[in-house]
Amino acid sequence: MSEPAKAPEPTKPAEEAKISPAELKKRAKAEKQARRAAQKGDQGDAEAPPAPFTNGVPEEQQAQKQSGPQDSKPKGGQTKSQQQQKQGKPGAQEGKHERRGSQAQPLAMRPKVVQTAPPKEEARKNSKQVELFSHLYTQPRRHDISGATKDVHPAIVALGFQMSSYEICGSSARCVALLVAFKEVIQAYTTPSATSLARNLTSHYLSPQIDFLKSCRPISESMGNAIRWLKKLIAEIDPSTPEQEAKDYLCDEIDRFIRERITVTDQAIASLASGLIKNGSVILTYAKSSIVEKTILQAYANGTRFRVIVVDSRPLFEGKSLATSLMRSGLEVEYLPFSGITHAVKSATLVLLGAHSMLSNGRLQSRVGTAALAMQAHKADIPVIVCCESVKFSGKVALDSIVLNEVAPPEELLPPRVAPSQPPTTDRKDEGDDEESKVKTLHDWQDIAGLQILNLMYDVTPAEYIRMVICEYGNVPPSSVPVVHRLANESM
Amino acid sequence: MPSSTVGQTPSLSTYLKSLKHNDIETSIELFISLLKRRQIRNSRSCAIATISLLLRVVGEVRTRDAQQLIERIRAVGRRLVAAQPREMAVGNIVRRVLENIREVAERDQDPAESDGSITTPSTPPVPGETKQRPALRTKFSEFSPLHGAATLPQDMNARAPLSASSGDSSPAIAGMAETALQRPPLMSSNTSFAPQGPAGSSLFSILQHPQGRSPFATPPAGAQSPALRALPAKGDEGPTSEKLDIKAEVITAIQDLQRELEEVDDEISEFAQDHIHNNEIILTHTSSQTVQSFLMKAASKKRKFTVFHTEAYPNNHLETHDTIVNGSGGGSAEDADERWKPLTSMGITVILIPDSAVFALMSRINKVILAPHTVLANGSLIAAAGSSTIAQAAKTHRVPVVVLSGVFKLSPVYPFDTDELIEYGDPGKVVPFQEGEFMDKVDVVNPVYDFVDAELIDLYITNLGGHAPSYLYRIVADHYRVEDIDLSGGKGEAGGAVKAG
Repeated sequence: MSEPAKAPEPTKPAEEAKISPAELKKRAKAEKQARRAAQKGDQGDAEAPPAPFTNGVPEEQQAQKQSGPQDSKPKGGQTKSQQQQKQGKPGAQEGKHERRGSQAQPLAMRPKVVQTAPPKEEARKNSKQVELFSHLYTQPRRHDISGATKDVHPAIVALGFQMSSYEICGSSARCVALLVAFKEVIQAYTTPSATSLARNLTSHYLSPQIDFLKSCRPISESMGNAIRWLKKLIAEIDPSTPEQEAKDYLCDEIDRFIRERITVTDQAIASLASGLIKNGSVILTYAKSSIVEKTILQAYANGTRFRVIVVDSRPLFEGKSLATSLMRSGLEVEYLPFSGITHAVKSATLVLLGAHSMLSNGRLQSRVGTAALAMQAHKADIPVIVCCESVKFSGKVALDSIVLNEVAPPEELLPPRVAPSQPPTTDRKDEGDDEESKVKTLHDWQDIAGLQILNLMYDVTPAEYIRMVICEYGNVPPSSVPVVHRLANESM
Repeated sequence: MPSSTVGQTPSLSTYLKSLKHNDIETSIELFISLLKRRQIRNSRSCAIATISLLLRVVGEVRTRDAQQLIERIRAVGRRLVAAQPREMAVGNIVRRVLENIREVAERDQDPAESDGSITTPSTPPVPGETKQRPALRTKFSEFSPLHGAATLPQDMNARAPLSASSGDSSPAIAGMAETALQRPPLMSSNTSFAPQGPAGSSLFSILQHPQGRSPFATPPAGAQSPALRALPAKGDEGPTSEKLDIKAEVITAIQDLQRELEEVDDEISEFAQDHIHNNEIILTHTSSQTVQSFLMKAASKKRKFTVFHTEAYPNNHLETHDTIVNGSGGGSAEDADERWKPLTSMGITVILIPDSAVFALMSRINKVILAPHTVLANGSLIAAAGSSTIAQAAKTHRVPVVVLSGVFKLSPVYPFDTDELIEYGDPGKVVPFQEGEFMDKVDVVNPVYDFVDAELIDLYITNLGGHAPSYLYRIVADHYRVEDIDLSGGKGEAGGAVKAG
């Protein structure tokens, strides 16, 4: 807990009510300034905002910080400036010295009486990020197109928003969608006169698209592997090939990749894994994995009679859509919230899990909550099987769930807003800090000092809980993951 | 029925108000219906309601006889427990009251004592009486810990005088009380410590013809030395002025119990300083008031720590959110004392996480603090759903698990069949019933509680202090009488029956 952040906190509730109208005005002014400044230094002139340190600028920075990521509509928030401010915070992982210097300045300015509002806002802003995961808060998710460079292809824009709103969710789905969108992008590309496709396509054309996607939602491991494969492919194109031919070749290769490494692989894994499901089995699964769904439907189509238990969790409720699709196929499904895990493992005979990625130390990175389920199943001596295509295998290692993860916007965890009987904002202005008269809900969490909400997307399951991994190379133990990764992803 | 309660949703507060002007039978019926409809839910509310009801019951009992008072309380207790066997706080309070009555009665009998009539008011029912028992079929198996708590099916009683409750050694006690009288009491009058009685005289019951189940199937054969002191039972001797005192003293004891219930949070919080220190990261679950006041106490001693709070979806998440944001919210109390402020107002960082993230974060957690629904005699818990996952994850990561519970939550029941103890709640909270097709074809299950084994718990903090789980049977022995563990059964000519068998 940062000391300066704590000091203004206790007094804040009292003063907050009084300064909020003035604060609002200041904020609006600051945003206008920021918009103007960012329009000037649009594309890479990132140094503009932090360099001149006058009174106005830290205020605008901090006001932006406050308004930008937390309200999911950046009012004039520009990605670049937001990025710097994020990195300028105390917990930043990039040790760029000018950024740290930029952070030091507001601290030194705090003793000046001039503004009490911005340091408080910044402190408040800081305190809304869980310090444990400060390395994962690099970029707020973008929710509209402002600030995107003009090079971003409309297909990529659409894809980005589909991913950030969880329309397209799930590692395989995102990978396929990415590649399909890239096909369109590649077809729309024309080589500039001075250079060749092989040299220009990746760095000048595809990179902005990828950056845009990253700003919508951090890319998954499968997407990363696919992009690496594609870049390698592009680099190997003979410069003398005519452009259209090269583009067609790339698109065909992308089709082949999707077919070989995802579609056919899924079928192979499904038929392998469905052999593990016997009559009378009780299959336990968590959230929604497309490959597990295919396996179950395949087994059902083969005539095996069994039952499925689906465990689900907040906030995405992916398990519900899995349960619905299985129910429509005629299977017997039991559906439990996460708190019902102990009940679920009582009757289960087999656990099938999907993966976001398999790490090289044999651990499974999957939807948050998978590790707890695997642990309970392991304690109950139920075999845990992971179905995972080799495109998701990764060279990374992780010892816990903190190192590699994704922090989603905390607003997703808030319960659906019930129509309030009294609007909370008016209450705040009336009273001092008489807590009992205000009925606050969790939707006011921003204003409550010290309250944070953490919305993790993934967790890492230890290798000893996993009995077997089924990939297109067959059934392997978790310790063979680095071998498969080398075979499949690094030696193409 | 007074009209004041008609317009409001029945709950603990309306019930307590109505107690003042309803007659006893109506109050009992009202409480039973509140329990059955689950309008009165957690342990503390049930305990408060039970004790207020029993206070009135005792106040109205006309008899001067301790034995009859005991019978009356047992009868009422039987009905209450049968209404909702999984709310074990109700049974616990009834047994505490019975223990108080017996203690008071013994104290009165002390001068005139030691031989007296032996007959323990103990449980093995006289066969003739069972026919009047209501035909309440319980689904509980014979080994269920709840079996003895509910009304027994008739066939059970047709067997030997042994009742089929778990964890009781009453028939043996009956036999022992007989035989014990022939031996001088070896123990001092100190009630809390190792009972010599059953251990010493158990040989006699082995030599006797065993009837039905072995009474030593359960570990806590925690009969106290008061078993040696035969219960005063039908003492009609003694001047009436002494008998007058029994009722008054019982009422005083019950009021002490009431006060204990009110102060349990404060007493537990006294230990907060010893267990929470600076820069700790603590994980807690659900919106328990006990845990909140525990953490508030530590925070008020200027300890700076972080709390990860799981939200206990779907049964408790709204109350948890409310507790985090507003402090001990809820509706019942109107006084604005310390514990109403949320933890964040004391400068503590509180981080709300969904239940699924517990394993992911457990490597950074220093301590887990849980509050149970019920604590069972072997040190295991029934706690809110999700607690078992938390405790398992904590064990995997070697994180200590601390359980805060008042003694009123401690039940003398032994968990033979843990499945029976779990209550299942409204599936509409998981998936709204509007989704007709889904609810029709998919089996939605919503367990409200979880069983947490004693091995996963490192420390219990009760209002009596901190204990290891293995010590709890002792506290059970201190606070409950063995003969009260099974509330069923009528007056015993138990001693005679056993001897004859």
